[in-house]
Amino acid sequence: MNRISEHPILGETEKGQLVTFFMDGKSMEGYAGEPIAVALKAAGLMVHRYTHKAHEPRGIFCAIGRCTDCVMIVDGVPNIRTCITPLVAGMRIQTQDGVTALEVNE
Amino acid sequence: MKRYDLIVVGAGPAGLSAAIEAARCGMSVAVFDENTKPGGQLFKQIHKFFGSKEHQAKIRGYKIGETLLAEAADAGVEVFLNATVAGIYLDKEVLVQIGAAMEHFKADTIIIATGAAENMVTFDGWTLPGVIGAGAAQTMMNLYGIKPGQRVLMLGSGNVGLVVSFQLMQAGCEVVALVDAAPKVGGYGVHAAKIARCGVPFYLSHTITKAEGSDCVSGVEISQVDEDFAPIPGTQKHFDVDTICLAVGLSPMSQLLKMAGCNMVDDPRRGGQVPQVDENGETSIPGLFAAGDVSGIEEASSAMIQGRMSGLAAAAYLGFLSEQDKDNRLADLEIALDSLHQGMFAPGNKGKTFTKTDEGIAVSQSLLKKGYLDDADLERFIHRSDQTDEKSGIHPVIECTQNIPCNPCQDACTRGCIKVGKTITALPRIDATISCTGCGMCIASCSGQAIFLVDEDYAPGYASITLPYEFLPRPQKGELGTALSRSGQPLGHAEIIDVRSAKTFDQTTLVTIKVPVEQAMTARFYQPETNAAGQ
Repeated sequence: MNRISEHPILGETEKGQLVTFFMDGKSMEGYAGEPIAVALKAAGLMVHRYTHKAHEPRGIFCAIGRCTDCVMIVDGVPNIRTCITPLVAGMRIQTQDGVTALEVNE
Repeated sequence: MKRYDLIVVGAGPAGLSAAIEAARCGMSVAVFDENTKPGGQLFKQIHKFFGSKEHQAKIRGYKIGETLLAEAADAGVEVFLNATVAGIYLDKEVLVQIGAAMEHFKADTIIIATGAAENMVTFDGWTLPGVIGAGAAQTMMNLYGIKPGQRVLMLGSGNVGLVVSFQLMQAGCEVVALVDAAPKVGGYGVHAAKIARCGVPFYLSHTITKAEGSDCVSGVEISQVDEDFAPIPGTQKHFDVDTICLAVGLSPMSQLLKMAGCNMVDDPRRGGQVPQVDENGETSIPGLFAAGDVSGIEEASSAMIQGRMSGLAAAAYLGFLSEQDKDNRLADLEIALDSLHQGMFAPGNKGKTFTKTDEGIAVSQSLLKKGYLDDADLERFIHRSDQTDEKSGIHPVIECTQNIPCNPCQDACTRGCIKVGKTITALPRIDATISCTGCGMCIASCSGQAIFLVDEDYAPGYASITLPYEFLPRPQKGELGTALSRSGQPLGHAEIIDVRSAKTFDQTTLVTIKVPVEQAMTARFYQPETNAAGQ
């Protein structure tokens, strides 16, 4: 479990409403308002995208919207910095492959 | 185009402090910040700050952030969020991206307080998911309540690397090693000691040579480095980790100042490309100021003072503050800033090696190489002659052995048992003539968690040691666990005989353990029976 249930200094983290979103078509849960990357990390997902030329995996690196390593396709729009984009109920997130969606075998 | 008396770029500690001072002088102030929340990195700082009362010492960073936001709101500062300043023009005009729109704003003075960005190092596999910046770790665990990983290796022994390692353990992660290519620990020894006694091994003169894994990090290889920082073949060590955290310094984000045409200098001691500024942060362009990390990497306490100074200077520049009032108020701030610029870790001493403290005591090499004081060091720093020979009973032991700007321990003891004196960087001394009541305020007020209360006469053959504890689960009275040494080695059984928490301790729990009297000066941490420290 990646969520900190209770912290010795901060106590319990304030969270929004528990909502459902879709990651490469699969249903997942996260808290509304938290960054998409946080919801994915809590679920154990590490790879956000693959690079265009070398097809190398990338994930969260700076977590403050600076490095663009964590970009994904969100509701059909590519290159969304998931570390600073708040999660909304029903969002469709896709692993990015270059600048398009990764083909997922379901 | 909207006009203000002052535009501040960056709503971190420096920018907010500048805005507050200027607005209080009657200026109309707009602050732009690219983030969704104001406060910069303050809300990720959950440790108690150093300094003295006027620097808000012993208050945790996020609480200082809350105070700043309240003060800014009170002063009438207008804060624009999700607002990226993309351009700066002549005559104090800025171009701001707010959402999808580009808007122009104009002011008569500008303060740039954009802070700093993290430095990175490259190695095989450094782009793998699971390799993260120390700032990312802080963001994940302290803002959003998720663990950056289960098993983490930290690269960098500066204060950021040390503080974040401790925070990782507080969040329930395991820190398997702390690695730095430098031959000695870069940050405060007290920060290093806090993690060493939890059992984290230090690998100085080592660097990461490979991050292992296919789709994400599954391990890491480190190697010893030679004097030229080149890895020595055959010295590789492997650790199973899922996260590699990089804390290898910061660089000023000074692009806007360069764009504005300020005279820039390349100053490695200030962290890179920085503007030429006067003592109040005014650049070569009149009315354009820089405050905080953007004009030289320091820390939040000095950034807040620099912010206040530039805010006052901007107010005086436009006539909102008389020259005399400006001089009077700046004089106090200069003294406060100057006191933070003293001691072994002062910006002017970057890169210097100290062999002795200001008091003439040889510094602990063990602290610099391994992160903890060894027994021989104790003889020099913590001699029992601080106490009168015959006196028995509880007494403080202060393991603060470097000249750092910090003195809350002096104010914490209501009986005046602890003395730092006027020089804020002096090592605290214990007045042997005053008896200790064992109240524990000194322990809770020490931002470095370097004060312990020891009673060698607790019971026949047993001593009691009261130590600061900031992990979960909080130990319970009567519980049995293991006493750990300064290096985190198990010494034997320890019984919890008292657990104290109080509002004035501010989340630091004072845990008293009973150990054999021979361990009175060696046991410095407690590990519950079932868990590793910090888990």
